[in-house]
Amino acid sequence: MALTQVSSNKCCNGYQKVFEHDSSELKCKMKFAIYLPPKAESSKCPVLYWLSGLTCTEQNFITKAGSQQAASEHGIIVVAPDTSPRGCNIEGEDESWDFGTGAGFYVNATQEPWKTNYRMYSYVTEELPRLINSNFPADPEKMSISGHSMGGHGALICALKNPGKYKSVSAFAPICNPIQCAWGQKAFSGYLGPDKSTWELYDATVLAESYSGPELDILIDQGRDDQFLSSSQLLPDNLIAACSKKKIPVVFRLQQGYDHSYYFIFSFINDHIKHHAKYLNA
Amino acid sequence: MDAYEARSCLDVITEELSEEEAADEDAFVMVPDSHSPDAFCSQCRTLTHTGSAAHACHALLTPAAAAQQMKDELSRSRSKLSEKIVEMENFASNLEEIFITVEENFGRQEQNLEQHYNEVLQTLSQRNDARAAALDEQKNRKLERLYSELLQCGQTLDASKELIESAQEVHRRQDKRAFLQAVMPVIKRVEQFSSTEVDLKLGVSLDFDVPTTDLSDVRQMMDSINLLPAPSAPVMNPQICNSATDTSLHVCWSLFSDDTVEFYELHWRLISDDCTMETPQDVSQLKVKETHCTVSDLLPNAQYELWVTATNTTGISPASERAVYMTVPSPPVIKPRQCVSSLDAALIRWDSGNTNPVESYTLEFRESDADGSNTATESIVAIPSCECLVQLQPWKRYIISVRAVNIGGPSERSEPIDVSTAGTFFHLLEDTAHPSLSLSANGLTMFYLDEDLPLSHMTFSDSTFARCVAVLGDLVPIRGQYYWEIEVDEDTEFRVGVAYEDTQRNSYLGGNNTSWCMRHIVTPSRHKYEFLHNGWTPDIRITVQPLRIGVFLDYAAGILSFYNAALRQHLHTFSCHFLHYLHPCFALDNPGALTLRTGLSAPAYVTCP
Repeated sequence: MALTQVSSNKCCNGYQKVFEHDSSELKCKMKFAIYLPPKAESSKCPVLYWLSGLTCTEQNFITKAGSQQAASEHGIIVVAPDTSPRGCNIEGEDESWDFGTGAGFYVNATQEPWKTNYRMYSYVTEELPRLINSNFPADPEKMSISGHSMGGHGALICALKNPGKYKSVSAFAPICNPIQCAWGQKAFSGYLGPDKSTWELYDATVLAESYSGPELDILIDQGRDDQFLSSSQLLPDNLIAACSKKKIPVVFRLQQGYDHSYYFIFSFINDHIKHHAKYLNA
Repeated sequence: MDAYEARSCLDVITEELSEEEAADEDAFVMVPDSHSPDAFCSQCRTLTHTGSAAHACHALLTPAAAAQQMKDELSRSRSKLSEKIVEMENFASNLEEIFITVEENFGRQEQNLEQHYNEVLQTLSQRNDARAAALDEQKNRKLERLYSELLQCGQTLDASKELIESAQEVHRRQDKRAFLQAVMPVIKRVEQFSSTEVDLKLGVSLDFDVPTTDLSDVRQMMDSINLLPAPSAPVMNPQICNSATDTSLHVCWSLFSDDTVEFYELHWRLISDDCTMETPQDVSQLKVKETHCTVSDLLPNAQYELWVTATNTTGISPASERAVYMTVPSPPVIKPRQCVSSLDAALIRWDSGNTNPVESYTLEFRESDADGSNTATESIVAIPSCECLVQLQPWKRYIISVRAVNIGGPSERSEPIDVSTAGTFFHLLEDTAHPSLSLSANGLTMFYLDEDLPLSHMTFSDSTFARCVAVLGDLVPIRGQYYWEIEVDEDTEFRVGVAYEDTQRNSYLGGNNTSWCMRHIVTPSRHKYEFLHNGWTPDIRITVQPLRIGVFLDYAAGILSFYNAALRQHLHTFSCHFLHYLHPCFALDNPGALTLRTGLSAPAYVTCP
């Protein structure tokens, strides 16, 4: 698959690059951001996949989160894809900010007119890693995943649905129980149809209740002053209860005074990268 | 002949011998002879020829064999003679020494004698002077007496003459009447005068009283001239370094005169603070022939006063000056339960082992290899108190022991202690424990028992926790990295963390700014975890209950981290610049038990994320 470099900037002794390619899963051109730490010049590095939230592109994370310093120090490649296929000209894709463009919800859609292009789950878990592993000095055995909000939901479900694939998982203000919140219900009914049993396949809380696989170590940060927390879109208590019952190790931190913004991500991204480094560099 | 002459004679003998030897060797050269002797009779020891009638029954040897035999014999005689020469040479040098010694001894004796006679002469002349003075005095006294007698006589004479003159004058008076008036008193006076007896005896004897001079001491001195002098006082040597043990002293003294001494007598007594009066029972003595001896059965870390006298046939010398020696102390006793160590240091504490103070302590340590050999022992000296912080290498085992030192030297080594720098080793400070907290025998498990002790039964002190049922641990006072774990049950409500040594004893761990801790609370609905400092905790939910908690402290990085050690899961980290040394702290909020695991080093996931 041909990759074209869109941009390259030196950052923290490494390089923040953006590439574009033709995606076979999504049937369109897709961009992704990739940070290559200094260590990548001489040896293979582990990879952290970052999934952004609603309305974001591959740019938000690399310009606002300040992850490059920690990634450079720990020698980790950070890959940040876009949040949905673009330019597919599907009717209604730009109608809402929380459904369609910029709101892929990291599922493989089964409903028309979405099912051809909206296959973000396969893109993130299969196509993208293959692409990264063959084009960059990435260690194929060492992958971790993280994300914010919708991307947090994406990270959690990718990890829970693929036991052993990711060495560690973390999330910022994730949508923990989409089938119970307005966002999730809107997206799933659009992408997956009315059958709620198909929704459960992409719900972190439900997946946790039936998880069996290698031990996970999940770190979740949640801003206390997050408006979406108070409007019951995120529902972390449900996930915590499920993980407590199934003895899935989670450390959930309610951070006083923080909201849903990238300022919140910036404040704690180092802790998350350190958390991943523990497992990726072991 | 004197020694030198004897020596030179010997030299001559050697030379002559070698000449003789050379001459003998020539004898073995075959001399051309008409009879051509071709054999040697070993009996007659002459050259002959085979078939000679004179030597028919004698053992005959070939000239070659005979020559060899003779050579052997000669070399044997030669070596015997060489030995004799060596003996003679030794004897000669011995004679030389004796010669010199005789001279010396003679010189000494001469000196001695001179001194003695001088003393006698001095005494005699003193006596003479004294005697002469006494006689002189006597003479003066006698003369005085005589003189006064003479004066008296003169006076009497004058008085008599005067009387006669006045009587004559009266006698010559013409006037009969005047004469009659004056004559009667005059006659009376004359009669009176002539009736008085004139003492014509001599008041003084003409003989001189010559007292007998006491010359007994002079006689004694004359007698003792022929005797050896009693020795002069020996001199005690100062104590030699490292010559003492804890129960014995090696004492040396010297004699600085050339006196003959038969034996020495060494005296000693213990110097103790209370009594300065010396009773005879306190003093021990020992008869010794050499100028040194070892005194045993002494007390450790004690001062002894020693003095020595020298004795010969004449008598005992005066006592030497008293020297003070000190026995070394008893070895100290290390207190293992109060020693702590980490990856790069250990703090060792011990008991002195001596009732009286010692000067200092020396700590010795060496690595204990698998084979225990080829490791140098390092020492730290001049330690003033009963504890010492020693810097060590990480990941090794050491054997550490201590010695007590005083002016007599160092004591034996104490019983050693094994120290491992493979982790953080510490113990709980029992005197900080809240009275309701009891510790197991090995000091690693603490219990808050269900029985409510009445307040009156609890003894509090300044260092015990009074409200929080807590206890502090001890840690090496070095700003390094430390790691330990605790084990709890599901329902144990505990606090675990660190605190400054002076953390308030009447407040709860984590409730003030001098302590940081992780706290577990059991509520009806769930398990709650807090990370307390200054009374504040972040809001953290943990889904899998940690029952084995790892605590990691790094002074340099300013962090205190807590982990679920079983899952290697990071729970929380405090970031703080710690101003003082920290102590691990533990508390139980409700009846339960908590077990401490020490001797661990921080796992890789903790130090290298």
